[in-house]
Amino acid sequence: MSAAAAKNLALPSGPSVQEIEAGLPGSARKARTPLSLVRSAPKKRRAPFVVLCFGMLAAALIAVLVLNISVSTAQYQLVKLRAEQTALTKQNQDLTQQVQNFEAPQNLAAKAAELGMVASTGKGQIDLSTLTVSGDAKPAVKGDSAGAVIAAPAVPGQLNVVPPASSGEPLASRAPAASETASGEKAAAEPETPAAAKAAGPAAAAKPAALNGGTIPAPEQRTPGQ
Amino acid sequence: MSVAQGKSKASKKKAANATKRLRLGLSIMLALLVVVGGKLFLVQGLDVGGMAEAALDNRLRPTVLPAERGSILDANGTVLANSVIRYNITVDQSVNTKTESFKRLENVDGKDELVTVSRDQGISELAAVLGMDVEDVRKSVTGTRTYYIVAKDLRPDVENRVSDLQIPGIFSEGTSKRVYPNGSVAGGIVGFLENGTTGQAGLEQTQDEILRGTPGKRVFEIGADGLRIPVGIDELTPAQDGKDVKLTLNSDIQYFAQQAIQTQADKLSAEWGVIIVSDVKTGNIIAMADTNTPDPNDPGKVAAKDRGVRSVTAAYEPGSVEKPLTAAALIQEGKSSPLDRFTIPPSLVIDGQQFDDAFSHGTEERTLAGIIGYSMNTGTVMAGSRLTRDQRHDWLQKFGIGEAPDIGLPAEAKGILTPAAQWDDRQQYTVLFGQGVSQSTLQTVRAYQTIANGGVMLQPRLIDSYISPDGSEEKVPAKPSRQIISKDTAKQVRDMLESAVTEGEIKEAAIDGYRVGAKTGTSESPCDDGTAGFCGYTASILGMAPMDDPRFIVEVVLQRPKGSIYGITNGPVFRSVMSQVLRTYNVPPSKGTPVRLPQYAK
Repeated sequence: MSAAAAKNLALPSGPSVQEIEAGLPGSARKARTPLSLVRSAPKKRRAPFVVLCFGMLAAALIAVLVLNISVSTAQYQLVKLRAEQTALTKQNQDLTQQVQNFEAPQNLAAKAAELGMVASTGKGQIDLSTLTVSGDAKPAVKGDSAGAVIAAPAVPGQLNVVPPASSGEPLASRAPAASETASGEKAAAEPETPAAAKAAGPAAAAKPAALNGGTIPAPEQRTPGQ
Repeated sequence: MSVAQGKSKASKKKAANATKRLRLGLSIMLALLVVVGGKLFLVQGLDVGGMAEAALDNRLRPTVLPAERGSILDANGTVLANSVIRYNITVDQSVNTKTESFKRLENVDGKDELVTVSRDQGISELAAVLGMDVEDVRKSVTGTRTYYIVAKDLRPDVENRVSDLQIPGIFSEGTSKRVYPNGSVAGGIVGFLENGTTGQAGLEQTQDEILRGTPGKRVFEIGADGLRIPVGIDELTPAQDGKDVKLTLNSDIQYFAQQAIQTQADKLSAEWGVIIVSDVKTGNIIAMADTNTPDPNDPGKVAAKDRGVRSVTAAYEPGSVEKPLTAAALIQEGKSSPLDRFTIPPSLVIDGQQFDDAFSHGTEERTLAGIIGYSMNTGTVMAGSRLTRDQRHDWLQKFGIGEAPDIGLPAEAKGILTPAAQWDDRQQYTVLFGQGVSQSTLQTVRAYQTIANGGVMLQPRLIDSYISPDGSEEKVPAKPSRQIISKDTAKQVRDMLESAVTEGEIKEAAIDGYRVGAKTGTSESPCDDGTAGFCGYTASILGMAPMDDPRFIVEVVLQRPKGSIYGITNGPVFRSVMSQVLRTYNVPPSKGTPVRLPQYAK
């Protein structure tokens, strides 16, 4: 009941408490305070607290979302870099193996013979401390047959004949799905000059029997997957 | 008043009933709670039935992280063996068979578009990349199996092209493959693997533990949907890659020597041949060439007997190359000297045994140098008989005969040097000129290295160092050296060897510009099939250069060449290999006057 209403409310008249108490036996009690309306304290406003709670919740959720996003992006980058690393490692290995194949002594000797080179028979020496030349160097002559052939390394999937030095695209000889060996035509000029630039496109693979005037047959290539 | 009492009685009863029901309900709930609590305690606390462990086992996935096998390198870092990534192309046949067409992102006219590709086109493209027949590819991708290998051991760039085709059901799995870029050059020494994992011959076998490394382990938890559980167990033990093995070989000289001995063996139809090139100052083996060396990429191509390294495994009677060792023993014991005079009859009879020379002659006055220079059995026995039996035996033993060299190859022969007491009347003399005793080529080279190195024997070395994956190199320490003969004795023996080339019978070993000392050997070879007696000859030549300060020893051995043994010479082979070695190592030409000890006594 509001205070205003309470003021207006007329209490039924009747004997007041004091009168009744005066009439009751043994009423040496104190007089009660008269009834009056208690004004209640203003109610606490809960709205800001709730807003704060929701705000914090939202903030936490957003923070977690942002964290997840950044972790995921980093993860995508990691995957991309890993893939790049694997691809580069593969390429590196591939190229290294090609170089090793070209460097194998048997292949070098075969290529040298193909270019018309012969083993030297004489040698001379220059002594730098006394500035004398000793020995007697003669021009190399083609001797009899080169002797036994040590077979080229049977590394599967490698080109077994060194491709000619070309002025074109370095990886052109590795055309897609091409498994032909690219042995160029025999360069008649000195081995130093890249006269093999004359060899325009890859020639047909040299069959083992075709010695092309030399003594060392071109080794065969093994097809991958067999 | 009675109504009120009645009321209270009724209400009391109701109350009592209510309380009773409450209590009953409560007790039932408590009982259930006890049951549930008890079960919880049993399952969670005591884990009766091991379910938690079983669940964990179900989730745990241990994966092995393979270790990369170490490489084998030569002295200059040339790779003789290494492991590379190769790919197997596998197919999930069930997926591929039912996909009649698939979409693929291609670059058409400069724009990326989704193009529909039919299964047949996919198969023909795959066949083109793999270099296989279209029908074979079709057969391998059609079926119901979920795992079938279409192609093996493909290079990474081929695998890239296969993945670009994006054919459904085609996957690639990476494997490691052992590749030997130099093929049969040093093939027998390097060895090869069985099943691609364990070494079966050569250094791959003896150094298997070091090359192999330790595989790592990864343990993680994986859910039923196949995704890794992030907060579960995740333990990682990284793999330790194997160490690289660096050898003392020079692969260019190895190739040269292999080609030279193969040519010679083919020309003379010999059973086998061997060339060893050794560095005098360190004992390092620069080349160890055999005929018919296997190519470790394909070892099955050569016969099983050719897959070893005969330089160390084949023991044979050395013949005349043993004579300088006898001479060294005589000089060291003070019982002779290079210019000591001997009167040698055409045929020597001693203790009832007759010894003849390879050439017939009258009675000759010879020096010890002449006996060595002309490789006279008679003179050797005459001089060697000054040594007691035990001395003859012990000196051969000191020079390493009967003691296998330990260079890390399997089945190294130790040769046969029977105790002196077991020698019969003939053998006691034949050991002086290298018959009745057997040794491998490396043992002979080791004995001569002693003479070339001032009397100090160095054990031969093949493995130079081990290189860890982090790049640190750990050199294999040289085994302790031994002084066998004095420096002076060694010099006198070297003089005799040089005189054999300048004055004696081995003029074919002379090399322009360098002083060379050499000894040939022709020995009768006991029959291999167990029959008594001898079958064929073993022809060898051993030389060292330059004699002013010897740096290299080259020995060429040929087993059972066909044709007259007296017409066969390994001299040209020795010359070409020794010249190549001297040229490769830029050895300056010899200075000083060559030694020419007189072969005949005046």
